[in-house]
Amino acid sequence: MFTEFEGSNQVRRIGVDVGGTFTDLIYVDDEAGRVIVHKTPSTPADPSIGTVSGITELCEMAGIKPADLDQVFHGTTVATNIVIEHDGARVGMITTQGYRDILHIARHKKPMNFSLWQNLPWQAFPIVRRRFRLTVNERIDKNGDILIPLDDAEVRSQVLRLKEAQVEAVAVCLLFSFLNPVHEQRVKKIVQEEFPEAFLSVSSDVLPQYREYERFSTVGLNAFVGPRVARYVRRFDEALRGMGVKTGIHLMTSAAGVATPAAAAERPVNLLMSGPIAGVVGGIWAGRTAGEPNVITLDVGGTSADIGLAQDGKLRMKHLLDTKVGPYQAMIPMVDVDTIGAGGGSIAYVDAGGIFRVGPRSAGADPGPAAYGRGGTEATATDALIALGWLRPELFLGGRIELREDLARAAIDEHVGKPLGLSTEEAAMGIFKVLVHSMVDAIEQASVRKGFDPREFVLVAEGGGGPLFCSEIAPEVGVKHVLVPNYPGITAALGLLTTDMVYEFVATSYAMASGLSADAAARTTLQAQYAKLEAEAAEQLATDNVAPENVVLQRIAEARYDGQGYELRVDVGPGAIDAAWIAELKARFHDIHEREYSRRFEEADVQVANIRVRAIGAMPGLKPTEVAAGSADPVPNARKLDADAWFTAPGGRLVKVMTGFYERTELLAGNVIEGPAIITQFDSTTVVPPGFTATVDRYGNLLVTYSDEIAAAAQSHSAAAAAAAGAH
Amino acid sequence: MADLPEVGVSPGPPTRKRIAVDPITLRVLGGAFDAIAQEMAGVLFRMSYSSIIRESEDLGAGIFDADGRELCESESTPMHIGSLPWYIRGFLRRIDKSQIKEGDVIIHNHPYLGASHTPDIAVAVPILWEGELLGFTAVTAHVLDVGGSYPGINADAFDMYAEAKIYNGLKWYDEGVLNEDLDRMVFDNVRTETMNRGDMNAMMAACILGRDRFYRLLEKHGSDTVMSSAYDWMDYSERRLRAEIAKLPDGEYVAPTAWLDDDGRNRDVRLRVETKIIVKGDHVTIDLTGSNAEVPTGYNVPFEGSLLVAAYFAIRTLLLDQDRLEEQVPQNDGIFRCVDVIAPKGSIFNPNFPRACFSRFCQCQRVVDNTFVALSGVVPDLVTAGNSAALHFCSYAGFIPEKGEYWLYLEVNEGSYGGRKGRDAMDAVDCLMANTRNNPIEELDMRFPLRCERYELRDDPAAPGQWRGGIGIVRINRFLESGAYSCEGDRHSDPPRGIFGGYDGLPAKVSRLGADGSETEIPAKVTGYVLQPGEAIQLIEPNGGGYGNPLDRVPEMVREDVLDDFTTIALAREAYGVVIDATTLDIDQAATASLRERLRAERGDDFQGELLTLVSTPHPMAVSPHR
Repeated sequence: MFTEFEGSNQVRRIGVDVGGTFTDLIYVDDEAGRVIVHKTPSTPADPSIGTVSGITELCEMAGIKPADLDQVFHGTTVATNIVIEHDGARVGMITTQGYRDILHIARHKKPMNFSLWQNLPWQAFPIVRRRFRLTVNERIDKNGDILIPLDDAEVRSQVLRLKEAQVEAVAVCLLFSFLNPVHEQRVKKIVQEEFPEAFLSVSSDVLPQYREYERFSTVGLNAFVGPRVARYVRRFDEALRGMGVKTGIHLMTSAAGVATPAAAAERPVNLLMSGPIAGVVGGIWAGRTAGEPNVITLDVGGTSADIGLAQDGKLRMKHLLDTKVGPYQAMIPMVDVDTIGAGGGSIAYVDAGGIFRVGPRSAGADPGPAAYGRGGTEATATDALIALGWLRPELFLGGRIELREDLARAAIDEHVGKPLGLSTEEAAMGIFKVLVHSMVDAIEQASVRKGFDPREFVLVAEGGGGPLFCSEIAPEVGVKHVLVPNYPGITAALGLLTTDMVYEFVATSYAMASGLSADAAARTTLQAQYAKLEAEAAEQLATDNVAPENVVLQRIAEARYDGQGYELRVDVGPGAIDAAWIAELKARFHDIHEREYSRRFEEADVQVANIRVRAIGAMPGLKPTEVAAGSADPVPNARKLDADAWFTAPGGRLVKVMTGFYERTELLAGNVIEGPAIITQFDSTTVVPPGFTATVDRYGNLLVTYSDEIAAAAQSHSAAAAAAAGAH
Repeated sequence: MADLPEVGVSPGPPTRKRIAVDPITLRVLGGAFDAIAQEMAGVLFRMSYSSIIRESEDLGAGIFDADGRELCESESTPMHIGSLPWYIRGFLRRIDKSQIKEGDVIIHNHPYLGASHTPDIAVAVPILWEGELLGFTAVTAHVLDVGGSYPGINADAFDMYAEAKIYNGLKWYDEGVLNEDLDRMVFDNVRTETMNRGDMNAMMAACILGRDRFYRLLEKHGSDTVMSSAYDWMDYSERRLRAEIAKLPDGEYVAPTAWLDDDGRNRDVRLRVETKIIVKGDHVTIDLTGSNAEVPTGYNVPFEGSLLVAAYFAIRTLLLDQDRLEEQVPQNDGIFRCVDVIAPKGSIFNPNFPRACFSRFCQCQRVVDNTFVALSGVVPDLVTAGNSAALHFCSYAGFIPEKGEYWLYLEVNEGSYGGRKGRDAMDAVDCLMANTRNNPIEELDMRFPLRCERYELRDDPAAPGQWRGGIGIVRINRFLESGAYSCEGDRHSDPPRGIFGGYDGLPAKVSRLGADGSETEIPAKVTGYVLQPGEAIQLIEPNGGGYGNPLDRVPEMVREDVLDDFTTIALAREAYGVVIDATTLDIDQAATASLRERLRAERGDDFQGELLTLVSTPHPMAVSPHR
């Protein structure tokens, strides 16, 4: 993943991460050892405008011409936003007769159990409207044989109807096409003849995998986002080339790979979760610079927090039936990132039954927290952090936004303090703790509950908010310590510069381990299937100009116990499919099954439902730059001010402590700061509570560790607090 | 079984010592309870073997106190949520609390001792902490076969003994040691041993995982804090629901008589469902007095594990609609305290032992639907028009000589909802207390000697209304080898009701399709109906009722419905008074205005449109599926 090339000529690179509010940019010059970060407002109407101007500005800051850039990497939420805002293309679908409404029925399960008022999003906001779903009489059976032959004339007439209806994209979704694509390919041919201007999305090309609803939905989404994403990517690419950037643009995919504009335009569905994944990749890189291959990443923004986990620097992929974009199923390889509704804008309140709640509703950027003074009157997490004295008006976002502490306190008193009979600070700490708990719970879901031991991991604090929360979270989860990268707010943009070209190719197999052992022909078939995918993969990377020596192909089997219906993803070895290969497949599957479900069934047969080949084209790595060394004590100029801040003392009591505020950019390698302390920087604020210690490493990372007492207290602390609360 | 207890007796308020819990810890533990239940369900459906559990998620998983009070339950299918308390109280009559030990794994399915019905087997493990039995983690899941007279579904059974093997509080594992004889007895007596074994292993794994997670909470917070929080959350849910009930005017609200098709043996004898809702202060009673007497088949309803669950569901769904609430109100014991049910002993809703009661879902659905109809005048903004409120739960089975076992496929066919004020209805979706997932067709075809040949919206239009009713499905499954089909459906005769001027919906219909293309209608409930290779079953599910006067529907929305084949040009004119040009598909605004005026005058205030007479097949108004 992090192959580094000596003497690589790709030295000047930019990573651009477009978020909802800000576009983050990072410029890296490996040769000169320079890193420059930049933030500009996003331009949601056409994100390429903000991005191009950001790149121009960044080049000026770096004193280079755009033509001097070797690579520009881009993480985009364009595709995701099209889905969430439901303003994609007018899509037509050609499907098997008798199955017009697969997308309308979905899995016939309601999102909510106890509701008459809910909408079914796939019906209320369809990806392909029913009037544009046309059927053709054909059928491939479960063996891949043709049961009802396709009639060209019927296809042609249906395609012409779609053309007349002025659809922009055509999805071709026939049953059992993953076993035999002949009918779909014929329909594709006819669409190309009769309606060449349509964007085409064919299920046997995009996703040759069983489960018709999930496949149709994915292929429909691909068509829905296709025309606009293709246009966006092309325009962006042309704009960059117009500026003189010879290599154009490269895009981050949901599988944490990099795709060329051509590949992205063909399968835009692969860009759907591009955004949060770059943050995990950046976290892995930051961990590596600190010598920590096992990381849990926590990226806290305004409305949500993203949680990722990587062991040995390896990303984990989501189960393919859990991969959704908004309410729609998208069965594409996606890095396992969990998102919860907890962020700086999360609103705190006491509900009608007297229960204290924080989030998931958020004040967003507008009106934002009460302290912004833009008309928000509800109490948010940011207001709580101000009331605790952790965020100081004069230091917040370099003073770009004025913070009104009086408004923050008034909102907390009104919505939380008075109803619960708590002081402003107690209420503020309560808001903070509830959010911490949500994050701890989400991290435990992703770690301990999946069999990963948190004591072997560090917690990487990312986003504007991550470093505010991570110190408190670390002992609760039991991680070794916290790592705050140099630019926490820009980790995702940085992650873009550390990824490789990655593609996945998939086929359906259904081979049984017992069958493979017994039958040479079955082994030959599986071998040939893998070989075919490997050839496709190699060809794709060759198209992307990746030199053969930089190509790595990995085999994956999606396996289950015979009779089960859900597969688990197993990395399997290259080479001949023989007894040793099969034994290894089984052994690895048993292990993974045990880790996921805490049970293994050695006596049961193992079935390979799907096979995949992951093709990696290694890109130049990113070298960390060292910061100047200092002594244990920070230079006096680093300590900007001393002020009161509130923390929880052992036993759960709230105490006011005089706290030092430091400027991050003034810190030097080797500096040690004992808590309580607060370290501010342009894009984030790190809280070091009493009993915690922050150390600056040679690359400028802040390592926040905690004392044994805190570690021990984390286990009993809540019980003690509860007992104390019960006593009065 | 001589001394069966009185049904529906709750244990009363918890007596365990309670301490005050601070609001933050309370919030934290509430989230943890919920997460544990979800995780238990996740393990169960991911690990299990039969498609009814792993694809359909016909299961429930949760945590309960030592008297069965529910702390939390997974968001799976509502028919399960709230039944486990009664299973636990049921098996505690067989096993004394003092005999429950760490490592025990208890199985139970006795329908006169709390079970929802016999195929929904419960597996429970105790939570023992510092020598005290704090409660149980438990799951229910529908297993493929329970060794009744026929494979899979037994709508027509002589008595309880014919419908299933009965497990009454049996220790499958005793202090961690497998009871081998019991294990053999259980799995030797079902037709699908491999599947049942895999599923029950998954059920046990889910319980153990939940228990261990709960132990972690106890270690961290102590039992007094954890259990006090649990009771605080029950009180919270109770407070929320009582506050909503109190807003309703006191009174008795009666639904029109609803009719069930038949009992599965005595054809053409319809069964009566009478529903009266009594609101008094902050409490609701659902009174089913006057409903049919118990029947001699398996079409009776277990009072505790099924009927009470339906009542909890109905009142909670109506008054604490999840989509209208900003925060989650857990479905726990607190909800259950607000609702009582009266059903006379010996009625179809409270049968005498040992009546069979395998098939109870449709009757429960009708109680829920009737509750909404009864309260529609009180909370017109919250209700839907009449819903499909039934389901065709089908089993397809055959014997595999090479394996010495049966293949068996259970299928939950979805329904549709009625319109609601401000929104069109939900089409083709599991209705009310059903919320399973369908089985992928590609999965079905590959696993069983069946071929699905059609699965889409039925050809008939939606029930007209200002807010249209939902559309059900049509499905055809063809047998490639001979096999047996059983089904416990309903609603072939009495269509879902329209309200406030909306049209009634359409009933369901099931047919056998011959290999020659012939069609023979068959009843909703059949047991062990044999089909030959090449023959097929066709299921057509109900269309829900319309809400409000269709003359008030925005004409452009009617046109959109025409474009999507949700209605027809002819019905647009006849029911909605909207005139659409068949060639241009444009609305003739002037003609529409005058037609609407005329229809309004003709119809008067009490007009009740009926769709059925307009679409009897073949009829020009039936929607063609592919045009």
